[in-house]
Amino acid sequence: MKRLLLILPIVFASACVDKLDIETLTSVDTDKALRTSADVEGLLVGAYDALGDPDLLGGNLQRDSELMGDAGEIFWDGTFVAPGEIYNKAMLITNDQARATWLDGYYCITICNLVIKNLNLVTEDRKERVEAEARFIRGLVYFELVKVYARTYTDGNPAQNPGVPIVTEESDQFAKIPRSTVQAVYDLVLSDLTFAATNLPATNNFFATTYAARAILSRVYLMQNNYSNALTNANAVLQNTGFTLTADFDDAFNKTCLQGTDRSKNGNATKEDVFAIQITTQDGTNNLNTFFADAGFGGRGDIFIDPPHFALYEDGDERAGLFFDDTYTAKFNNQFGNVPIVRLAEMYLTRAECNFRLGSSVGASPLADINTIRERADLPPLTTISSLSQILRERRLELAFEGHLLHDLKRTQSSVGPLYFDNPSLIFPIPQREILINPDLEQNEAYTNN
Amino acid sequence: MQRQLLIVLLLLISVVTHGQDRVVSGVVRAAEDGTPLPGVNVVVKGTNIGTTTDAEGNYKISVPSGSETLLFSFIGLRSAEVTIGGRSIVDVSLESDITQLSEVVVVGYGTQIKQDLTGNIARVKGDEIRNLPVQTFEQSIQGRAAGVFVETGNGKLGQGVKMRIRGASSVTADNQPLFVVDNFIITNENQSSATAATNPLVDINPADIESIEILKDASASAIYGARAANGVVIITTKRGKAGRTSFNVGYQSGVSTETNRREFLNTAQYVELMREAGKASGRLARIESRLDRNGAGNRNSWADPSSPEYVNTDWQDQVFQRGKFEQIDVSAAGGNDKTKMYTSLSYSDQEGILIGNRFRRLTGRINLDHQANDKLTYGINFNLAHSINNRLSDDNAFSTPMQIVALMPNTPVIDPRTGLLSGQLDPDTGTPNSIFPLYYNPLLDAKFSQRETRVIRNFGSAYAGYKITDKLNFRSEFGYDLLYQHEERYFGQETSRNSGFPNGFGTDAWTSVFNYTLNNFFSYNTVLNSEHTLEVIGGMSYQEEKSDFVNVEGQQFPSNSYKELNSAAVVTLGESEEEQSVFLSYFSRANYKFRDKYLLSFSGRVDGSSRFGPGNRFGFFPAVSAGWILTEEDFLSDAGTLEFLKFRVSYGLTGNAGIPPYASRGLFSGNGSYGGIGGARPTQLANDDLRWEQTAQLNVGFDFGFLNNRINGEIDYYVKKTSDLILNVNLPGTAGIPNQIRNIGNMENRGFEFVINSENLVGEFRWTTSLNYARNRNKITNLDNQVIEGSFLSRAVEGEPIGIFFGPQYAGVDPANGDALYTVINADGTRSTTNDVNTATLMKVGDPNPDFIAGMTNTFSYKGLELSILFQGVFGYQVYNGGGKFMTANGDFFDNQTVDQLRRWQNVGDITDVPQARYLGGNGTAESSRYVYDAGYLRLKTVTLGYNLPKEITGKAKLTSARVYVSAQNLLTFTNYEGWDPEVNADTYASNINQGIDFYSAPQPKTITFGINIGF
Repeated sequence: MKRLLLILPIVFASACVDKLDIETLTSVDTDKALRTSADVEGLLVGAYDALGDPDLLGGNLQRDSELMGDAGEIFWDGTFVAPGEIYNKAMLITNDQARATWLDGYYCITICNLVIKNLNLVTEDRKERVEAEARFIRGLVYFELVKVYARTYTDGNPAQNPGVPIVTEESDQFAKIPRSTVQAVYDLVLSDLTFAATNLPATNNFFATTYAARAILSRVYLMQNNYSNALTNANAVLQNTGFTLTADFDDAFNKTCLQGTDRSKNGNATKEDVFAIQITTQDGTNNLNTFFADAGFGGRGDIFIDPPHFALYEDGDERAGLFFDDTYTAKFNNQFGNVPIVRLAEMYLTRAECNFRLGSSVGASPLADINTIRERADLPPLTTISSLSQILRERRLELAFEGHLLHDLKRTQSSVGPLYFDNPSLIFPIPQREILINPDLEQNEAYTNN
Repeated sequence: MQRQLLIVLLLLISVVTHGQDRVVSGVVRAAEDGTPLPGVNVVVKGTNIGTTTDAEGNYKISVPSGSETLLFSFIGLRSAEVTIGGRSIVDVSLESDITQLSEVVVVGYGTQIKQDLTGNIARVKGDEIRNLPVQTFEQSIQGRAAGVFVETGNGKLGQGVKMRIRGASSVTADNQPLFVVDNFIITNENQSSATAATNPLVDINPADIESIEILKDASASAIYGARAANGVVIITTKRGKAGRTSFNVGYQSGVSTETNRREFLNTAQYVELMREAGKASGRLARIESRLDRNGAGNRNSWADPSSPEYVNTDWQDQVFQRGKFEQIDVSAAGGNDKTKMYTSLSYSDQEGILIGNRFRRLTGRINLDHQANDKLTYGINFNLAHSINNRLSDDNAFSTPMQIVALMPNTPVIDPRTGLLSGQLDPDTGTPNSIFPLYYNPLLDAKFSQRETRVIRNFGSAYAGYKITDKLNFRSEFGYDLLYQHEERYFGQETSRNSGFPNGFGTDAWTSVFNYTLNNFFSYNTVLNSEHTLEVIGGMSYQEEKSDFVNVEGQQFPSNSYKELNSAAVVTLGESEEEQSVFLSYFSRANYKFRDKYLLSFSGRVDGSSRFGPGNRFGFFPAVSAGWILTEEDFLSDAGTLEFLKFRVSYGLTGNAGIPPYASRGLFSGNGSYGGIGGARPTQLANDDLRWEQTAQLNVGFDFGFLNNRINGEIDYYVKKTSDLILNVNLPGTAGIPNQIRNIGNMENRGFEFVINSENLVGEFRWTTSLNYARNRNKITNLDNQVIEGSFLSRAVEGEPIGIFFGPQYAGVDPANGDALYTVINADGTRSTTNDVNTATLMKVGDPNPDFIAGMTNTFSYKGLELSILFQGVFGYQVYNGGGKFMTANGDFFDNQTVDQLRRWQNVGDITDVPQARYLGGNGTAESSRYVYDAGYLRLKTVTLGYNLPKEITGKAKLTSARVYVSAQNLLTFTNYEGWDPEVNADTYASNINQGIDFYSAPQPKTITFGINIGF
């Protein structure tokens, strides 16, 4: 009996040692997460999820472009400090949004890199598309990052101006990487998006298609003031691609994800969406709703639209009706509405602008394109286009609050109130956190002593 | 030996033959409460004649003639010598032994006599903290134990309580001590699904606690090895004693109010300041329109003080309430030689000082011990608790009552246009009011939302002890701890401005934690040659913990009549989380005592944990200590007033495993879905090398007693060095996942503690004083040159204590233009100032770690009256007001401002520390030392005046005791802190690094209670 008692705990204890090897339950160990084609394709879906993060294209990037580009048309009424600083063009190096956009941007890029690195696992007939989608997302995120953290492409010498650090599937993830030049980042963006445009299918449910890639390419070239390439790509999206403007302006907004799975069809919620961040009642957050919409629609109601903006609309403009309470835009009144990234209307406007600048009529004349937009807004057609400002004004009204403002002002070398397009205050700081970790990262001009 | 026996025999014979014996009998009771004491030794002085009292405290003894004195002794009580005189009945009351040297102290897996301790253990008796109006026992030991820092972060009920024993030992891993109840490590991690923590220790009824032992040094705590680096708190619950069954009934009732309020601008001051701010930034029109709008659209409400419609709301009046408190305790203890039982039932109901906050708890306990035969004992402990906490939202939410202070003073409480609360849904328009008042009105939350956390907690154990030989015992015990928590929240459509959900929102979160432990250990005791005492224990422990969490959210409710999730038309979220971890441990301890003066102790524990990398799962944590009782030596045996002196030294290693269960793993999560299609994403970087964080602690101390031990105490000095810090290391953002848990860095705590207890007056009027003092110096000695960020200015910086405030130093106001200035330290070391905070030099601007903490209890008693006064203080630290940039921001936005903002710069040449008021100007609102405040305090923590009814009265009522008392908690606070309360750490932010942050945090409650305890 005594001996048995002595032995008992020892026997029990040795049986327990194995118990220290436990399985993870909710999450999955790395070595089990990347074994099959489905694993990698699931990760690709995760990359879209990361792209649609509220701090990226889920709304905050667009919001910040509107806040920083504003000169009296809107008013920031919220209590969040970071957007307030952006609105005031007086960001601190500790700005939470500068930090979140950076971290979430590289998080999304990292997922894309992981997908590209593990392409060998992907079933052969899907490999090309998977790679093209990953590079579409990666290119798009780099484009967004270089726009907010660096001097705009046409400001000074992009081959010398610091852009953002580049990490690809080949980089050492843990390295302290310095900023590449603006040019190098644009080169990567163009290479990724061109690959995507070449290898993506024409229909791909609501995921990236060749047209989505071309639409983003048109934006990239526009930022470079490369009008002919911008024109080519915008025109490609307008040529019998199945996209059409919605009959009424307000139909283009506030549509919830259709939740289909068929990649052989265009799964976007409207025929006008070339690419949109998908929101369902259970998945995704539309942060344009959060900040622009009133509480009655699930938002915080932080951004008021002020009279100078309302004054821009002609009488009868249907778009002037898409406001609420004379205070809020109603473009984002569905809490579970998709976040529009590229609407077909933008392609008309880009084509019109490029044709006008180049004196061409590729696809259609500038007048025809602008009237397409005006007619949908219930406005009488123009008879002639005499100046670029007419096109840019139409663009402003059509795309208001969708995130184009700051970048359009920069590429057209306009001013934000008293600040000229190249004013350093119109650029985000490199987050203080990053500089503390990696002192080789160069801080932007507005945020240093020099 | 034979000769001695012979002498005794002869003596006995002589007694028998020559003596005229008489028989003396009586009852021995505890002086404290009059309960009969079984097992008291009664000896006739100068003889070998002795007996012990029976279960009812009765004794009967034959006293030889010539003997006139009886000696009564019992462990934990002061021995008494009583002269018999001519009496045949001698009843005796024994006083508690305040010298405490013979006290039994609970140590890990056993007990020891205080006199023999070589480690540092603080002890708080259950009786000291029994009737206090707090939710959890940690709050009542604040100020009662040296070196034990306790902080309740705000005045909300049942929330997380921070406890630090000899400072913080980790930057990333847990810094809370290990909590052990009746030999079992219990779940004490926060289980709240809100950011603000809850405290699983509230499920312990303080009235069930017999004693709390706090193991502070390595010698005491190393038996708990890998999880002991933050100290160990051992809670021992009450057990039955053989003898008459004693019943105790207690009832108390009281009220709570806030300790302090802050002063904000009144309407006239506010209007003046905001107009000035608007002018300065060229936006006066917006100021005027906003004043109008938030004055319920009525200009008279703010512009014309003589108007009957003029409004001047002090919003604090609306959210503070007089909270009621009520508690009933019933217990019964008793048994016989074979079976002993303690049972209790307790119910408490406490309202907070903030509207909507309430905490209710029902607990029951059964502790049962049974002696089956000479060899085998067994028993069970069983604790069942049910608590309901009506919680408030986190400190950073618009809906938390305290944020009401941000509303403008010219906003009426009731909107005259609707007759409803300002901001309440207007039934005519049917739309929520989203731009009036300034922010969401927290009163709407109090009225139209609920946040209820219900916990059912069952912990207990079963044990069997077997006496293998007289010297060798074996004990096997199984303990379990089940926690079921249901958090239910509902937000009506009136709250949509805050919840973001226009037609009602509800959530249902379920958590279950199952934690079980098996302990098997042997203990061996022997005395050799009556000089060597050896006590050895050794055994193993296996612990497994599994937790499950499920949360479902939905919206679109038909009306406020339907609050269950079942009524949600759209289910918007379903999430789950399941975790598991395992500990396997072997432990041993040997205590050796030679001639009652030389003490030596070794202990060690081998711990294995599933939380660490595959190669580093096991760690060994040894400790050694020695004690020398100098007063037992000849050279000090007659040292005058010095009664007792012991020197102690200990050194040992302990560990910290307070990290998430899968901290070493590289993880992917399947929650990367998009557009209704399943997706995955990486969430954590692997670190196969992750190993134990180790703390080596040296402790040197003295225990002393003077003047018959009427003055006694302890002095200790310690050095605690933590290496291989478990650190959530910052990686560049380009790594994708910007953090990784690694073993990097070192941290150190050095400190000094002393305790002095003194019996200033004895006799009928008694006065005792107990004083404790502790200073701890924390320093991060190596962090691989990193700065780990917390919120606001809280940082972990190498060479500094954890959580210092690190950032721009506010340098006042430029008299020339009213700009806020910040210090720049130039390359050559000279200082200058700048108005651009981005270019200010980052530096240490404050420290939330106190210089020292202290507590002093004075107890006065006269006959049945007893007055006890506890002062408690935390000295020499700073608090950061995270809400400063809103409430103390010289009119930067429309938030009502603290009254000190009236000092703002107005004219060229003004010398002040408040910058010019500029609406949206960001003038001085950056996080900086402007919002760092000195916050030391001294608090009259507890005053209790009690009266024990005389025996003549209680006896007539057939009671053994009756006590009435009045008690006050937090009655007075002495501080220079400008905020609500200096004992603060905002619940949203509280972490290892985030210390001393104020963010609209509610002040502590001041509570006055009346109570009665009856024993029969």
